[in-house]
Amino acid sequence: MIKITPEELKTITGYIHDISGIHLEASKKYLLETRLSSVVEEHGCGSYQELYQKAKRDARKVIEKQIIDAISTNETLFFRDNGPFELLRNKILPDLIDARTPRSPRLKTPLRIWSAASSTGQEVYSIAIVLKELLNDISKYNIKLLGTDISDAAVKQASMGKYNKFEIERGLTRDKLNKYFTLSGGFWKIKDEIRAMANFRKLNLMLPFAGLGKFDIVFCRNVAIYFTLEDRKKLFNKIADILEPDGYLIIGSTESLTGICSRFTPKRHLRSIFYQLK
Amino acid sequence: MNMSILVADDDPVIRRLLEKRLGDVGYGVTVAVDGVEAAGKLASSHFDVVITDLVMPGDIGGIELLQIAKDKDIMTEVIVITAHSSIDTAVDAMKKGAVDYLEKPVNFDELFLRLEKIAQLKSLVRNADDLRNAMDVTESSAAQTIQNLEITAADLQLKIDQIDTFLRDSQLNEYDKIDKALQVIGS
Repeated sequence: MIKITPEELKTITGYIHDISGIHLEASKKYLLETRLSSVVEEHGCGSYQELYQKAKRDARKVIEKQIIDAISTNETLFFRDNGPFELLRNKILPDLIDARTPRSPRLKTPLRIWSAASSTGQEVYSIAIVLKELLNDISKYNIKLLGTDISDAAVKQASMGKYNKFEIERGLTRDKLNKYFTLSGGFWKIKDEIRAMANFRKLNLMLPFAGLGKFDIVFCRNVAIYFTLEDRKKLFNKIADILEPDGYLIIGSTESLTGICSRFTPKRHLRSIFYQLK
Repeated sequence: MNMSILVADDDPVIRRLLEKRLGDVGYGVTVAVDGVEAAGKLASSHFDVVITDLVMPGDIGGIELLQIAKDKDIMTEVIVITAHSSIDTAVDAMKKGAVDYLEKPVNFDELFLRLEKIAQLKSLVRNADDLRNAMDVTESSAAQTIQNLEITAADLQLKIDQIDTFLRDSQLNEYDKIDKALQVIGS
C-alpha cells in the first residue's frame, strides 16, 4: 500500500472536499491509503500528489469519479433502522394523502419524495415498497420518487436494482424478498413494477439544487455526518428551500439539527422524530 | 468453525465416503439417500452447507434441493456434485446460487479446501453481523438520547423566542415584561 505524506494528506483531503463535500480529518490517513492506493496504482502514478495532478488535468473527470466512488461510504440496507419507514407508513403518508388528494376524482394525488443520499438504492426501494403496500393502486397517484448520490457507481447500481446475497439478506424479510425481487444469475433484481416508481441521478449536495423542484418528503439520512458544520448548515438550509411548507424531513436517527438549521422544528411520533418547517 | 453439513447422494458408496471423510475432520454430517429425504431434513434442521448430487431419483433433484435450501436460508451454501457429462447443469446450478461444483470422482483435498473457504467466509460474515448488531444497539440507544435532547432544545428555543417577543414589546411596561418572561420560564 502506498503511504501518504502529510503534505499530500492536506492536498487530497482538500480536493475531496472540493469535489464531494466529504470532510476527512487528518486522522483518516489510513482510510485514504486503503481506499485510494489502488487508484494511484491503476493510473500509473507513483504518489498521491501525482494522482491529484492527473485528476485535475483529466477533463473527462474519470479519476475524480473513481476517487468519489472509493471514498464515499455506501453502508446501507433495506429498511435500515425501521423507524422512518414505520413513520412513513403510519403517519406521514396518511397525513400527506389527506392533504394532497384533489377534490376531483379524475385527478391524481401528487406525492414527491426525495432520498438525498440514496447510495445503492436500498432506501429508495424500501420507500417504494412501503408506497406500494400502503397505496394499493399506485396508478391513482402521481408519484415522483427520486434518489440522488454523489457516487456514479452507487447511482449505477441503484438504477439496475441488482443486489448480491449479502446486500439482500440484510433488512429484508423472506416474504418481501420473494414478492419484490427475482433471482437471476446469482443476483436479486428488484421487480420492474417497483423499479419503475423510482428515478436515480448523480447529485453533489454541495451544489445548488437547481431544477430539482419541490418535495413533500425528503430523506437525508446519515450523509451530513460526513460534512463540516458550515456545509451542514448550507445543506439543510437548501433542503428547507425545496421542501413544501407542510412537507416532512427525515434525518438519521443519531443526527440532530440543533444549532444547524433553525427553520425546522422537530416533532415526535412514537419512537421516531421528523422535522417540519416552522 | 464447526459447520453442519447435509450430504444428499443416492449412491451409497459416495454417501458413506463423504460421511466418513467429513466426519473424520470434525464436521457434523447428516446424510440423505435422495432429494426428498434431504428436503425433509432441511425442513427440520439448519445446515451451514449442503453437498448434493445433481442427479437423484424422485421428484427432487440437485437443482430443486438447491432452491429449497436457499429458500429456507439464503446463507446456507450449496456445493453440487456432478458427472463430467453434466457440467452445463452444474454451471446452471451456480447461476441459481450454488457456491461451487465438484466433478466425480470427488477429490477430497479439493472439497476440504472449498469447505475451509466457506468456513472462513461464514466466520467473517458472523463477525460483521456481530459488529453491526453492536452498532445497532449503540445507535438506537444514542438515537433515543439525541431525540430527547432535540425535543428539549426545541422547547427551550420556543421559550426563548416567546420571552424575546415580550421583552421587545413596546406596549408592555418593564414590570409586565419581567412578569411575562418569568411565566414562560416557569411553564
